[in-house]
Amino acid sequence: MPKKNAGNKKNKSNFAKLSIFQSNKYKFKKSCPLSIKGAPKIDYKNIKLLRKYVSENGKILPSRITNVSQKKQRELSLSIKRARNLALI
Amino acid sequence: MNLYEHTIIARQDASPADLKQLTEKYSKIVEKNDGEIVKTENWGLLNLSYLIKKNRKGSYIHFKIKGDGKMIEQLEKNESLDKKLIRHLTVKVKKFDLDTNYFSKKDENDKIEKKEKNKS
Repeated sequence: MPKKNAGNKKNKSNFAKLSIFQSNKYKFKKSCPLSIKGAPKIDYKNIKLLRKYVSENGKILPSRITNVSQKKQRELSLSIKRARNLALI
Repeated sequence: MNLYEHTIIARQDASPADLKQLTEKYSKIVEKNDGEIVKTENWGLLNLSYLIKKNRKGSYIHFKIKGDGKMIEQLEKNESLDKKLIRHLTVKVKKFDLDTNYFSKKDENDKIEKKEKNKS
């Protein structure tokens, strides 16, 4: 997946700026935190989980920063938009 | 028979009696159009993250409905007329997870209150 490597190269450059969003251990772990067996379900009601993937002013974090797989990122953005519609986020 | 998760937000000044009346009204509409209410959740008064029609807070009611599209159409038509509701959202779902309730804050508050009573 060429996109993955490019993401990491860029990742290294603005490393300091972005580390506030995600603890360092996520940065080096290549696996997606949502596709592990015991991961919480992505749901528009589960605002505790959704808030982790939203920046302070409510924008959806790109998957190159949060290391989320493409499939989970699509589900995530859909549920975030639904939660926004219900004014939960 | 599709599965739907239907959420409505009532205005801030809707009293609990109004809320009960609202839930009954809409569950009657669902039953009339041969739908079936699997579960009803009252998430209580939550702060909205932005103003909807000048309301800062809204009381959420969540239905899990089994039925077909026409019933949802009827439901939404009535809801858009209703002055008390400020927003409604219907989501078609493959299957329900009935156990997890993310907004059951009330149980936690009760526990805390009980602890205080024991202490005092």
